[in-house]
Amino acid sequence: MVKANEDAVAKLDTELRRGAVVLAVLSQLRTAQYGYSLRQALAQRGMPIEEGTLYPLLRRLEEQGVLASDWRINDGPPRRYYKLNPRGTRLLAELTTNWHALVATMNQLVD
Amino acid sequence: MDTHAIIDDYINNVAAKLPRRQRNDIGLELRTLLTEQVRSAAQSAGRSPDGEMAVEVLRHFGRPDEVAARYAPAGFQLIESEYVPLVLKLAAICIAIQWAVTLPLVFSARLTFGEWWLRWGFSAFAWCGVLVLWFAAAGWVQRRFPVDPSTGARPGIHWLFWVPFPKDWHPGEADATQRRAALGAAPIGALLTVLFSAPAWILGHLLPAGVNTSWALYDVNFKRWLLPPLIALMAVRLVLFATVTLSERWRAPTEAIRFGLWVGFVALLYWAVFGWHIFAHPLTDALFKAWLLFFLLVNTVQILLWIRRAAVRVPQIIEKR
Repeated sequence: MVKANEDAVAKLDTELRRGAVVLAVLSQLRTAQYGYSLRQALAQRGMPIEEGTLYPLLRRLEEQGVLASDWRINDGPPRRYYKLNPRGTRLLAELTTNWHALVATMNQLVD
Repeated sequence: MDTHAIIDDYINNVAAKLPRRQRNDIGLELRTLLTEQVRSAAQSAGRSPDGEMAVEVLRHFGRPDEVAARYAPAGFQLIESEYVPLVLKLAAICIAIQWAVTLPLVFSARLTFGEWWLRWGFSAFAWCGVLVLWFAAAGWVQRRFPVDPSTGARPGIHWLFWVPFPKDWHPGEADATQRRAALGAAPIGALLTVLFSAPAWILGHLLPAGVNTSWALYDVNFKRWLLPPLIALMAVRLVLFATVTLSERWRAPTEAIRFGLWVGFVALLYWAVFGWHIFAHPLTDALFKAWLLFFLLVNTVQILLWIRRAAVRVPQIIEKR
């Protein structure tokens, strides 16, 4: 019974975070990052994302025209770096405003 | 296998299931990311990266067909991406069986080709629709009633619309499967080559004296013109399979020879089915051609899949030091 309850909470928590993943990713791409470094940056800030979710998401955001990418060879292997393009920057600003409004509303509701 | 070989094997497996235009791009990116992940996992564990660790990281990342499906465009999908190759293979097999069972009516002159096509030939494609509906229903059932992640048990309703679970990935499995296939193909091929060269003569020696084996006699023209090159091709293939079994792996030149012989053999057999009488006895001829046609259609699909797989090798990028 307790385990079933824990499972249900974990599932709802995952659902809750899923909605915020895109905003979290966009927020870290004001500067160029490659998949692995982005995942580490998000995890360090308390937003761990499964690599199997993150890497395809980056491709999808690029296909949707909000990210730009290029291959760079610095020290080590060639890596594909992603960065917000002008459309992505506008999208991030809009989503951030919506996020703040949502957080304010939710705070009023839950407090 | 070392870490790089294991990652390459995995990446090639993923790439084989991606649309052609995305293969190299996604494959190259994944290789970099997964290599880095294996290195990082090794660092955390305080040891150098090894094959065991690479397999662990890749298993955690997902089965190749699952990973490829994550890169599929978002939106409604009637059939899960990971099941599309299976649906295609099953459709080809169903069509081949229907054609093979009904084509003797044409070979034995009971139907014209046009009549057969209208009655049996075209309708075989209905299997595609049946399979699409089946897999779509199975997909809906699997989404609606998912597998219990803690036990891995499939709910009972899954058996109502059963579809196989995609196979787990094991590094180097393709090479091992090919070696096993070569090992099995050599003796079976030898037996078939002998039987194919003179079936009536062999049956005459195997069966009790007095049993009529004239139904197994080849048509004179087939025996004179087409049988010798067919037997020659079969014999060369046998030598090749035996060589590969001894050397334990297929290399680029042996793969190319194998492919050439395979295509040549299948093309000659298609010609035999549609352009020649193979057996002198009409019933033997019709039944054998039906079986042969099934064999040929399955081989044609296998050749096409082989070409598709062979084209998938994500290129290497030289690391800057």
